[in-house]
Amino acid sequence: MATITESIKAEVKEIVYNFFAEECETDVSRITNETNIISDLDGDSLMFLELIEIFKKKYHLDIELKTIGKYAVKHPVSTIGQLIEMQLLIIEHENRLLEFER
Amino acid sequence: MPEEVVITGMGIISSLGLSLEENWKNLIAGKSGIRHITLFDPVSCATRIAAEVPAEFEELSRRYIKKRAASQMTRVTRMCVTAAKIAVEDAGISFEEADRTRCSVIMGVVNTGNSSAERDTNLQNTVFKSMTNSMPAWISLEYQLTGPNFAVNTACASSAYAIAFGYEMIRNGQSDIVIVGGADSIINAEEINGFNALYALSVANDPPGQASKPFSGDRDGFVIGEGAGVLILESAAHAHARNARIHAGVAGYALTSEGYNIMAPMKDGEGMARTMELALKNAGVGREEIGYINAHGTSTELNDRYETMAIKKVFGELAGQIPVSSSKSMIGHTIGAAGAIEAIITAMSLREGILPPTINYRNPDPDLDLDYVPNIPRIKDIRTAMSNSFGFGGHNAILVLKKYTA
Repeated sequence: MATITESIKAEVKEIVYNFFAEECETDVSRITNETNIISDLDGDSLMFLELIEIFKKKYHLDIELKTIGKYAVKHPVSTIGQLIEMQLLIIEHENRLLEFER
Repeated sequence: MPEEVVITGMGIISSLGLSLEENWKNLIAGKSGIRHITLFDPVSCATRIAAEVPAEFEELSRRYIKKRAASQMTRVTRMCVTAAKIAVEDAGISFEEADRTRCSVIMGVVNTGNSSAERDTNLQNTVFKSMTNSMPAWISLEYQLTGPNFAVNTACASSAYAIAFGYEMIRNGQSDIVIVGGADSIINAEEINGFNALYALSVANDPPGQASKPFSGDRDGFVIGEGAGVLILESAAHAHARNARIHAGVAGYALTSEGYNIMAPMKDGEGMARTMELALKNAGVGREEIGYINAHGTSTELNDRYETMAIKKVFGELAGQIPVSSSKSMIGHTIGAAGAIEAIITAMSLREGILPPTINYRNPDPDLDLDYVPNIPRIKDIRTAMSNSFGFGGHNAILVLKKYTA
């Protein structure tokens, strides 16, 4: 379990924004927390998986995909802000994510 | 009353160019697109030549396919999707104004292109790149088309089969528009070594442009080509309703299986002849009406011999009067794309009244004595033409196209 600091929050936000800007060929300034991943950016569900891989490596996370899958079914993500929030929860709770369901 | 089927859009990517116009200009100029291989180092292969798509394709592809989607496609899938988008542009279709439930996609797919020549480190993308349905799926996704979309694999006849099935879906009223065609690229060491082991490929590496010589006495096998061909098939009523330009009409087709040999055509071209006869019957076209045959013409010993015998059997005394040419002399054998690319060339021949030549025809085979349109194009107004495709496994497809007059 990691403590989510302001610095981690900023770092995660920056990574997520830059990832979507790069993959969706859009200017990062056009992305906000309210941006819809599918309808505004033409993104796809695989991007979520790719981001998880990025964060797993960056923060050495011990988390199984099926845990994230179970969590995501109950808490679907559609905006960039929701996605950042979920990534922070994953970083904070790792495999104990389901124990800290909202 | 069955629906009349017409071709309202065409897109072609081959070694001779990235647009219909560029391909046609080079085809009727008798140019060869065959070069030394650059896509991988062929030093271990007996065959070191192929008809590669120009490098500028990468830039063209970026104009038509978003980066995110492109990363989930192989190069050949990108060729297919790019050609499809060019064909849709050519047809002037706005799918917002069409009934998308009546728009379908059928692609001839033999290879996904996920070979050693195209390495990928993203395991998720490996799955998408290996899906044999990816070409029609991406096209359907691009335009949100919700009619049937599927791939058909009958080796070198695949995209001709796709055209036949598309024709049928419009003919019987299931669809208004069907995007049909195919793409292929097997320019990689495993495929070339595999075909070399079958003695199917030319090993006349120098000069490359003279290696593919269909119907010639010194032919020594086919040359692999890569590319994509996509046609927009549409019911004539639908096309007229939106004032579409019509390139040509589709009169009919025949599909047969030889049940004979995994590689060789049936002796004396019996299966090929049966398919041609059936195509004429299905299209309601008399043999005297055929003004041109775009041959399968691979430049292999057996195909060219048997295809010639089949044409003679079907057309009898008329056979010598029908121009027969092989586009493969210029663009190589594009395998899964061949049927569609050659159907486009046939449609252009009908539309423009010009027949592309069989190049490299310098040493006639005394047994093969048809009019192969040797080396230079021919101006000839034709009303009806045939496009032949034959695949390993005994898959035969003959398409009959006609000049369209409203």
